[in-house]
Amino acid sequence: MFGTYRIRRHLAVGTVAGAMLISVACASAPPAPTAALDEANLAIQAAAQDDASHYANAELDQARQKLLLANDAVAMQDMVLAGRLANEATVTAELATAKTEAAKAQAINVELNRGALALIEEMQRVGDQQ
Amino acid sequence: MNISTGNQIRSAGILAVALVTALVVTSCATAPSNPAGSAEVRSKLDLLEAQPNMADLVPGEIREAEAAVTLAEQPVGKDIALGEYRVYMADRKVAIAAARASTLYAEAQRPLLSQARDEARLDARTREADKAHRKAEAAQSETEAAEATAAVAAADAAKNAQELQRQIDMLEAEATNRGLVLTLGDVLFATGKSNLNPGDTSSLDKLVVFLDQYPDRDVAIEGHTDDVGSADMNQVLSQHRADSVKSYLVQQGIRAQRISASGLGESQPVANNQTATGRQQNRRVEVIIENPPATMPTASTN
Repeated sequence: MFGTYRIRRHLAVGTVAGAMLISVACASAPPAPTAALDEANLAIQAAAQDDASHYANAELDQARQKLLLANDAVAMQDMVLAGRLANEATVTAELATAKTEAAKAQAINVELNRGALALIEEMQRVGDQQ
Repeated sequence: MNISTGNQIRSAGILAVALVTALVVTSCATAPSNPAGSAEVRSKLDLLEAQPNMADLVPGEIREAEAAVTLAEQPVGKDIALGEYRVYMADRKVAIAAARASTLYAEAQRPLLSQARDEARLDARTREADKAHRKAEAAQSETEAAEATAAVAAADAAKNAQELQRQIDMLEAEATNRGLVLTLGDVLFATGKSNLNPGDTSSLDKLVVFLDQYPDRDVAIEGHTDDVGSADMNQVLSQHRADSVKSYLVQQGIRAQRISASGLGESQPVANNQTATGRQQNRRVEVIIENPPATMPTASTN
């Protein structure tokens, strides 16, 4: 009888300790996502200033949606989700900026190339006339 | 018995801990497989890194992407949201690295493109200069050719004019503003007759030669008389004489279309009808060789 009780008590202690271990391992206390939210805001502003709405509108739009969802999550006290969404908004805004820069750089090259091609074509045309 | 009970209890406790530990392990890492989507993002990164010079172009971005992909590959157990979050972050990091690399690549290409354009421009200018040079040369030789042609033409014209003058002199014709006027005296005709005296056609033959030589010149033949006899009779007589000259010319091969013949009777005397000499001068046939339509006289070669 007595032995059975001891066994049960040990089992209970083990279960509680295990449960605590699970919570520590998989769901550490969520940090306040304020910094992440600020960072996302800045990244979106930078992308917008870079004229990302013209060159990478899909990414800029997605970054803004993510930030809105992050703020919703803060309101719902889901700080883990809020932090993740804020980070997603940041990288997406950064991608919008990077794509914008790439598009602008390529546009300049296309213009350069077109200039050279136009000259070559002009020469061929003149050559044909002779 | 006591000892055995204690051992039993101890072993039960160990079992419980082991069970819980197993639970922990299960909850965090049931499946040894990577989170969904991590393989795709890894292959994207591999593809990007396979591009030549990529690591040199954007080493920082590649490092960040590599770290994010490695993190995304970590097992997350049942926390699917965490896996999705990490995969999303990794995917964006790879895309950022690709975009930055594209920017830098485009910038690196620029000197080459500028060079190509400059070369094309230089080539264009060279060709333009060559073309202008050739054009100038062509213009020069054209001018020379034109000058030579003009000289030949001028020489021809001078020769033609000389020839014409020679012909005119030979015809003993008079240049007037109506054209060359050749006056055939009444010796051609017997008095009161309109048919030509057969023996005296030398002046008409010269006219035939001239008209053959200058086929663009038409001819008007006008018959005139003195005032002896009725005006009607004189008109008819002068017409007949003009017609006779025309017939002769046509017989000699001059096209009839080139020749008009009219009788003007006594209406246009050139001398006094009161004297015999004057009347003789008035009895005449005038052949007016009209000026050609073009200003420059042209001699036919035959």
